Amino acid sequence: MKKAVLVVLLVVIVFVGGVMDSCESSTYQEISPVVTNPTYSQNVGPIIRSTCSGCHNDLGSYAQVKNAILNRNLICRIESESCGIMPPQGKMPQSIIDMIKLWEVNNFVN
Amino acid sequence: MKNVICCTILFFSVGFASAQDDLLNELSSEKTNAKEIETAAFKGLQIANMQSTKLTSKGEWYMVVSHRFGDLTNGFNNFFGLDNAFTKFGGIYGVTDWLSVGASRHTYDKVYEVTAKYRLANQIKDGFPVTLVGYNTIDINSKLDAATFSGLKFTNRLAFSTQFLISRKFSDSFSLELNPIYIHKNLYEYGTEQKNEFFMGTGARYKIAKRMSLNIEYAARISTIEGERSPYQNPLTLGLDIETGGHVFQLVLSNSQAMNDVAMYSRPSGNWNGGGIYFGFNMYRVF
Repeated sequence: MKKAVLVVLLVVIVFVGGVMDSCESSTYQEISPVVTNPTYSQNVGPIIRSTCSGCHNDLGSYAQVKNAILNRNLICRIESESCGIMPPQGKMPQSIIDMIKLWEVNNFVN
Repeated sequence: MKNVICCTILFFSVGFASAQDDLLNELSSEKTNAKEIETAAFKGLQIANMQSTKLTSKGEWYMVVSHRFGDLTNGFNNFFGLDNAFTKFGGIYGVTDWLSVGASRHTYDKVYEVTAKYRLANQIKDGFPVTLVGYNTIDINSKLDAATFSGLKFTNRLAFSTQFLISRKFSDSFSLELNPIYIHKNLYEYGTEQKNEFFMGTGARYKIAKRMSLNIEYAARISTIEGERSPYQNPLTLGLDIETGGHVFQLVLSNSQAMNDVAMYSRPSGNWNGGGIYFGFNMYRVF
């Protein structure tokens, strides 16, 4: 029994030690790159492909994504609760959403 | 918060009150020597989503397959959730009777979850009133990629949960569990999440037939940011245990689609009175 207690203590120490050692937290904002002029090919496209295209096969190209923002309310769908948030497993980090909005403001650089 | 404290006090007072009765009984009856451990407060390793105080036995291998289908309330649009299912696949090994370790892979955030579960005390008939079990999980998020997040370090992928499970079997058909939970995230969204979050979980099992029990669990978020409203709900989950020849099959209905503990407690997006209900099952196979 004493041995058991010792081992438990050891496990706890390893866990606590591990947590202490690697518990520095960052926000998504902090690890996101500062992109002043996002482009479709470099920035927006890869995110849409990995996040949306699995289900939405109509979001695979530059023209389709641009069209979805202009005519199909894409920004609201990814940002606002009132539109029913996409993706369904939870909102993307705000820094990503802001970058996509900046892409819209900068007139959809390809 | 008040509710949580009330629940805690109630739980313990029931435990201690019955413990006192036991002492009185002991005075008036013959002394018995053998300390009998109260077994099987819960039949499954999980109540539904939450861990129960049950552990694997020494040397046992468990294979775990869990599934949560997509939002039930979407109707035919996703065929009642068949389209967007989450899967958990993993294994658990009993190192000793009181320590088990496990690993699993989840669809949500492509998470790898490593777990350790260790029993600290047993509920004893006419003795110690509760079973105490510790549970730790470490999540590794393998979905984050350095191309999107240029400042990404490996430690950003990690998230931790530390849980202290306290259960009491009140009768053959009714058991209760309390579970204070501490969650730490190495990466979080400013404004809607916190790096440290605390929850108070409760779970119960009620046996409705010889091989079936009805389970319910809920976790209340204790830590909230002043003046900010979290977009996430508290997890509320219903379960139905069906024992089939040595292993337990659990049907689950929850407002959390994710199954890794960190996300299950801190990011349930569904709302029981407004959509986002996920149906699924846990399946355990012993080797």
